[in-house]
Amino acid sequence: MQHRPRAAQAGRPPRRGLPNLGLGVGLRNQHFNYLMSHDPEVEWFEIISENFIDNYGYARRVLERVASLRPVVMHGVSLSIGSTDPLDWRYLKDLKALADFVRPAWVSDHLCWTGVAGVNTHDLLPMPLNEESLRHVAARVRQVQEFLERPLVLENPSSYLEFKDSTVAEWDFLSELVRETGCGLLLDVNNVYVSGYNHGFDPVHYIRSLPHEAVVQIHLAGPTDCGRYLVDTHDRPVPAPVWELYRLAQELTGGVSTLLEWDANIPDFPELVAELRKAEPALRGENPGSPVQPSRAAAAAVSNPVGFQLAPGDD
Amino acid sequence: MTEQSLSLLQHWLKTVVTERGGLDEKLRAAARAHGLSAEDVVAERRGLSARERLGVYTGGYVLRLLECMRADFPALRGFVGDPVFDAFAKAYVITRPPGSPSLYELGAGFPRFLEETKPDGGRFDAATSLLLDLPPELARVERARAEVMRARGTEDDPPPAEPLSTFAVFGENLTLEATPCLRLLELKFPLVDFLKSSDRGEHPAPPAPRAAFVAAGRSNYRVHVEEVTPWQFAFLKACERPAPLYTAVLAAAHEAGKETAQVLAEAAVWLPVAFSLGFLRRVA
Repeated sequence: MQHRPRAAQAGRPPRRGLPNLGLGVGLRNQHFNYLMSHDPEVEWFEIISENFIDNYGYARRVLERVASLRPVVMHGVSLSIGSTDPLDWRYLKDLKALADFVRPAWVSDHLCWTGVAGVNTHDLLPMPLNEESLRHVAARVRQVQEFLERPLVLENPSSYLEFKDSTVAEWDFLSELVRETGCGLLLDVNNVYVSGYNHGFDPVHYIRSLPHEAVVQIHLAGPTDCGRYLVDTHDRPVPAPVWELYRLAQELTGGVSTLLEWDANIPDFPELVAELRKAEPALRGENPGSPVQPSRAAAAAVSNPVGFQLAPGDD
Repeated sequence: MTEQSLSLLQHWLKTVVTERGGLDEKLRAAARAHGLSAEDVVAERRGLSARERLGVYTGGYVLRLLECMRADFPALRGFVGDPVFDAFAKAYVITRPPGSPSLYELGAGFPRFLEETKPDGGRFDAATSLLLDLPPELARVERARAEVMRARGTEDDPPPAEPLSTFAVFGENLTLEATPCLRLLELKFPLVDFLKSSDRGEHPAPPAPRAAFVAAGRSNYRVHVEEVTPWQFAFLKACERPAPLYTAVLAAAHEAGKETAQVLAEAAVWLPVAFSLGFLRRVA
């Protein structure tokens, strides 16, 4: 089955004019020592922006080396673009200062809110999807893009609840957001799979319905089957259904940068790279994945794990 | 049913996620504050109830933050054991929900929280009462160490034309300043060896209480936590703003009740060490 990329159909530059960086992984402190003495073996890295803001220790030295060898993308988890609290300008200034240092290929975050009333839950909380929230998010995306002087790239989050007040599907919300703001999309095909399972929508329809020319990057990860729902745990190999969606997304977009996320039970770097390289047979139609693995302890499955946090003693 | 604006829905879900107690208590608190029930807000599909769906977020919130606290205070966790550590860490994140965009800030208030929630010492014998002081003190050291790891250090300083010699204090017109990453602590226990032992995966016995002065700094990305003498502590304090060597020596001698000449002589030997540990640097 061949799909003609919508970007080509529309005659617009794919990926918002941003490069296809190839296959990359997240920069995690568990791999710092390895990366300081080995060739990175991947085409690019993604950092969690908050880990490096105001961090002048060894982590920044590693980042400096990695950025001298490979392109780096900044991926945030605290922009809280959907919150009804005012934008956090101090955070945005810090983000911009980090971007001046890193010179990332692009800056991304999530379609979500992380808190309100001054609280940051450090979770990617779901948005009610309706006209009011679209107006709200679009206005804030425009403000952020103007401040950062670059397009913002937003990721579809995994979610475990939908609001009764929602009136549009997530793919339509994202499409309209792209149309109104010119932002880019970070398509997390694992999140599409997780949310599709949890809410009963067709992930293939979701991916087909997006504006493919706006997709700048793809995330891959392994979720956990908790029995009645899936959780986005980032702690295991990419399963077969997610590789299927990945192949479809790459066909529809014409090829975009691919990032493997692994944030808990993080394997050694060579093992991580081996998992990433499965993207190559996946694109040839040779699905390298297994079924989604069940949780050994469903109650302990945590979405958006924070294994990327820099722990004392690791330097 | 109340009209559901975006702001109302976010305040409702924030209350559900961060309020103390089980899901029932959380939902009651959110209903009282915002006039909405789970069934008013959350769509139920695929046979998953609103409460089950909310449970993914409420359970994940505490576990995620607890995971960070465990990573930030490994020695304290090892000392008090998982059940006690988790109970205090959970109470901390529920009582003082995070506000910073950085998880690194999460543990900043934990030492003070432990101090403020310490059981009343009057109810215990003297030995037990003293031991109750140890967890907040240990948390202070671990927090300081975490700050040293991330603060600006001296790694990007231009190398000095000549390394500081042992007797430089007698021949050079030195102005000194504490490095930006230096942290100074006055403790009720000598915790440096305890911390080093804990770092090696051992389970050290708690030290007997005594006043201890600790300096933590970083050089070449290695964190150094060392006990210092009272005059060294006062000397480093005096250098928190750029200070001529002799001014710092006078301050240290005064604070520690030592002869100036004695401090000067000891500084001649100690200053190169303080430089190598990333406590001090020369002001050009």
